[in-house]
Amino acid sequence: MAKEFWRWKEYNWKSENINWNNGAIITGGVDVGSVSSQAVVLVGGELFAYSSMRTGSDSPMSAVNSMNWALEGTGMTLENIKYVVGTGYGRVNVPFANKTITEIACHARGANLMYGNSVRTILDMGGQDCKAIRCDEKGKVTNFLMNDKCAAGTGRGMEVFADLLSVPIEDVGELSFYVEEEPPPVSSTCVVFAKTEATGLLREGWHKNKVIAAYCSAMAHRVVSLLERIGVEDDFVITGGIAKNVGVVRRIAKEIGIKTLETEYDSQIAGALGAALFARSLAEKGK
Amino acid sequence: MITQFRDWEQNRHTYAKAWKEKTGGKVMGYFCTYVPEEILYAANILPVRILGSHEPHDVTEAHIFGMFCPFCRDCLAQGLKGKYNYLDGVMISQSCLHIRQAYTSWIKHVPIDFSYYLPMPNNIQSTHAVKYLAGELAQFKVAVEKWIGKELTDEDIKHGIEIMNENRGLMQQLYSYKKNENPLISGEETMEVAISEQMVDKREHTPVLKELIDKIAGGAGSKNNGTRLMVLGSEDDDIAFIRMVESVGATVVTDDHCVGTRYFWNNVENNDDYLEAIARRYCERPACPSKDWIERSRIPHILSLAKDFDVKGAIVIQQKFCDPHELDIPAIIKALNAIDVKTLFLEFDVTVPLGQFKIRVEAFLEMLQEDDLF
Repeated sequence: MAKEFWRWKEYNWKSENINWNNGAIITGGVDVGSVSSQAVVLVGGELFAYSSMRTGSDSPMSAVNSMNWALEGTGMTLENIKYVVGTGYGRVNVPFANKTITEIACHARGANLMYGNSVRTILDMGGQDCKAIRCDEKGKVTNFLMNDKCAAGTGRGMEVFADLLSVPIEDVGELSFYVEEEPPPVSSTCVVFAKTEATGLLREGWHKNKVIAAYCSAMAHRVVSLLERIGVEDDFVITGGIAKNVGVVRRIAKEIGIKTLETEYDSQIAGALGAALFARSLAEKGK
Repeated sequence: MITQFRDWEQNRHTYAKAWKEKTGGKVMGYFCTYVPEEILYAANILPVRILGSHEPHDVTEAHIFGMFCPFCRDCLAQGLKGKYNYLDGVMISQSCLHIRQAYTSWIKHVPIDFSYYLPMPNNIQSTHAVKYLAGELAQFKVAVEKWIGKELTDEDIKHGIEIMNENRGLMQQLYSYKKNENPLISGEETMEVAISEQMVDKREHTPVLKELIDKIAGGAGSKNNGTRLMVLGSEDDDIAFIRMVESVGATVVTDDHCVGTRYFWNNVENNDDYLEAIARRYCERPACPSKDWIERSRIPHILSLAKDFDVKGAIVIQQKFCDPHELDIPAIIKALNAIDVKTLFLEFDVTVPLGQFKIRVEAFLEMLQEDDLF
């Protein structure tokens, strides 16, 4: 079986410093996206555990699996979690969720914690769509825009290119800078057309790094038009899986002329983290 | 409560064919709501608005530009596919070039007994507009008389005005109940009523509408206490979309589009010169963007609707490639935002991606809610 270069590494994490059994309120957030699912558990509002894994064909099972994996080795079970919010495309398929909230609201709330309350613009680059979100100092959404009609500028597009070029997806961003000069972007309107164009460029003798650079550039250009429509206000951050791709992130920052903030948190859990934070507020209010 | 309206809306073609068989009268398909139905009713012709089906089709590519709006393409597709094969006539009153192209292509490719292009002025704010349109209506009246073989008297025209005015007045009354805190009729139900009035003989529609209003006045109906929204912009007869919006916690309480308030918001006022009175009504009705210049009357009108119906947010719809609305929308959004009415912009195509739109609508409603989540 041929190697699948698009397959990114699944992972989980747990805090070694938090005693979850100390009576603090425990809440969870599960973000079932089109490509990946994340589960986050908070203890007293502090990040306690999380996981990130691929969403399979069974969304409810993805929700269960991601939460189970986040809880693995912690001694905590689902019964210990007082309130769970489901988010993402599969938010209605989280069997143990008390409430569903859109990923747009959750990413803004999550980014507010991850990057601080100075964040005003968030670009969530997800598996199959992009969202440009404006928010206030509480992380409350004040405006948003989503990409329309195609997957250009999304994680799935990048996965297609990783496979085409036989480059592990985690390496794509760095490799895109190993070029003598920045090539013009490939088609920015359609992943399939972009792939066709890239195949032609490889046949012309382009090095794969140059093709990657052309695609990262196209992806950046694509989402910048979305950002321009909504207007970018400092501070600006990127969440979602593509936030880990420096090839895209730096090119976006260069195009809009604003640096993205960095965080010690995993950018991919922003949606689930926001969901868990909302769960905490709702649990405290008894809703 | 709205079973009859829904039946009419869903079985529009069956209804029109049965009407024709029952009355022996002619049926006129019309594009755009600037068509003076008063004159058609005066001639005992049934006006039926031509709308799309919201189903994918592949028949218009050879006849209409790809960058013309999906609504006009969908309308033309209905003609090319023979869905309106019972029509005796088809007409348009000038509004935008896209729908005019649909009309032009229709009369070229679909055999029809009678067709008429009514040059409704675009510069309706001109001091000459009413007089000009009255003259055009006189010519249209002559064409209709020639077609049906009968002269239309003042009494006939007056009767046509009364039929239209009565129905419009009732629709205005129905909407007035939607100003209440918990409207007893949903946006989806309202749209069923509004669409059906554009294709059903108003002499049948009006008594059923009266019954509906009586029921609502008597407290019947379900509570609709979702987040109060208005829908505005390009043509929108997409009931499935409104149903989806209301299923996630909204109530559509008013609108500004041509399958809603713009169709019935004002009446023909009394005047001895009936044609001039009709002309004045169409020049002074809430404008669509193709006719809203030099002064922009739409913005104060929309703001007034938003305030009167106490809306919290507005869904702004644009049919893809609809240039007139595309020009108007930024200014309208700015004006609504200035009075703290937030907006959600959505671009419509022949088919609407309900799944994608649902996320946006839900997020929009979350945005409008108080800070419950914080």
